[in-house]
Amino acid sequence: MSTEELMKRLPNDIGGMPADPIVQVEHVLEPWEKRCHALADVLDFHKILNTEEKRRGVEALGSEMIGKLSYYERWIVAFANIFFQKGILTPTELAKKMAEVETRDIS
Amino acid sequence: MKRHGHTEKNEHSHDHLHEEISETSKPGYYEIMETAVRELLCEKQIIHSSEIRRQIEVLDSRTPALGAKVVAHAWVDPEFKARLIEDGRKGCEELGISFYDDTQLIVLENTEKVHNLIVCTLCSCYPRPVLGLPPDWYKLKPFRARAIYEPRAVLAEFGTTIPDDVEIRVSDSTAIVRYLVLPMRPDGTENLTEERLAELVTRDSMIGVVRALNPSEEQEK
Repeated sequence: MSTEELMKRLPNDIGGMPADPIVQVEHVLEPWEKRCHALADVLDFHKILNTEEKRRGVEALGSEMIGKLSYYERWIVAFANIFFQKGILTPTELAKKMAEVETRDIS
Repeated sequence: MKRHGHTEKNEHSHDHLHEEISETSKPGYYEIMETAVRELLCEKQIIHSSEIRRQIEVLDSRTPALGAKVVAHAWVDPEFKARLIEDGRKGCEELGISFYDDTQLIVLENTEKVHNLIVCTLCSCYPRPVLGLPPDWYKLKPFRARAIYEPRAVLAEFGTTIPDDVEIRVSDSTAIVRYLVLPMRPDGTENLTEERLAELVTRDSMIGVVRALNPSEEQEK
């Protein structure tokens, strides 16, 4: 796509574009994906993060990331960025917490 | 998906091990991020872990069977149908289906002259309180991109042919306005009970990519 076209369309704005035939894929959500969805809903109930902010947060990842990440991967990365912007979390806090989670015994 | 752990569906409690549902791989980067974000928000008391568990229960309780119940009731009760079309959310609430979000619902009735199809071109907005979470194909580019300019070609890929003299209306969902298709009642169903009628109403018929099943198709299902 030309830069001019990229300028005129945000990454999610794909209605009306040429695209491949539909493949009727579906999958049962993995537990973490369902938790991610529930997290988004709970944040919405608390007026911390609404649907439009979520979409803008995903769009802010840019088309390359959007193309490479799965649906809930995009969401959680977008949520983290939004919380940094809102001052709810800091990148350092998240990095430390992720390192701690990673060392846990998964059994 | 990179990882296959157990799912809620096959989780059960008894004392012998099932190889296929044990956790065999380490969580991926984004799963770790989800856990970390959620736990930090809980530690800061912005949310409570019980709210997440409760919302997972709510999500699990929402399936297309709810939408099918609404459609079947509209087929047998014209006054209910009129109220449902007037205000979709109130109509569903009348049948005990609560809305856990701030969305409005517009019910689109298919007729001999009009066939409705719903899409969310920007992302994945969907009538979740009555249908549950959308299938992956609803969230992927081909359906989102093409439904609004070549709906007949899209429907053909689902095996649905709509006569040329029937208008196709495509409704694009938004964050606050969601749609549900009220499919046409199949012929030969005059003597069926409301419960049997509901069995003919599939998720995809309420998205508008197919028609409701006729009774003979339902038996083959």
